[in-house]
Amino acid sequence: FYWHCVQQHARFIERFGLKELLRAKLTECGWRDQLKAHCKDVIKEKGLEHVTVEDLVVEITPKGRVLVPDSVKKELLQRIRAFLAQHAT
Amino acid sequence: MKMEDMSLSGLDNTKLEALAQDIYSDLVEDACLGLCFEVHRAVKQGYFFLDDTDQESMKDFEIVDQPGVDIFGQVYNQWKNKECVCPNCNRSIAASRFAPHLEKCLGMGRNSSRIANRRIASSNNMNNKSESDQEDNDDVNDNDWSYGSEKKAKKRKSDKNPNSPRRSKSVKHKNALLGPKLCCRSGSSMRAVER
Repeated sequence: FYWHCVQQHARFIERFGLKELLRAKLTECGWRDQLKAHCKDVIKEKGLEHVTVEDLVVEITPKGRVLVPDSVKKELLQRIRAFLAQHAT
Repeated sequence: MKMEDMSLSGLDNTKLEALAQDIYSDLVEDACLGLCFEVHRAVKQGYFFLDDTDQESMKDFEIVDQPGVDIFGQVYNQWKNKECVCPNCNRSIAASRFAPHLEKCLGMGRNSSRIANRRIASSNNMNNKSESDQEDNDDVNDNDWSYGSEKKAKKRKSDKNPNSPRRSKSVKHKNALLGPKLCCRSGSSMRAVER
């Protein structure tokens, strides 16, 4: 049953524009620029010609998760909980 | 897709919270992956480093925000009173009078063709008139750019009114007396003749 919910929530996310909201907030707060700068380091390290998506994903994603500002995280969670609560009855 | 599909009512708070956290992680991971793909594509397509400039150039072209000066740092009205040399007549003309002067000097532009047309028309009409009349007209034309022209322009405007359909019959009758050739432009030259 839990996994059923997890599968559904992908569509849930789309429907309520949470993706767009998060991206907008992350760009606004400079998170994107920070990570981009980090990408530059990775690229310089691995070489422009040879860098792969995997390289970037491995290096960037953990840092990306950590770098999300608390305020953004709070707001997102609030919204998610609110939507869940709305539809839990 | 309806939210009822999810039937969350069975879940207790801890499970709801876990779900919320999951959703949040998914969203963040999605954003990260999105960025990775964007960057990777930019690298492979060659435009990733495109907007990088060295610090010095950045300073050189920084937007200027001072009073009296535009964003490039130039004084914006410094050319107002400069003098230009006309390539046609080699006279030195003030910058703000330069465009109208060129128009006349080169014989292009709306006004100069009007003047030319009128001169032709009046010289055709007055072929058998005395010299003094023609000079009169020329003087009037030459005053186009000075104060005198405004007076003349006003005169011409008032000429228009007698011809407009709104005017009373008596005025029209008066125009009929002067002859069928009367129109706005030749109106003023006709007046010169009358005098």
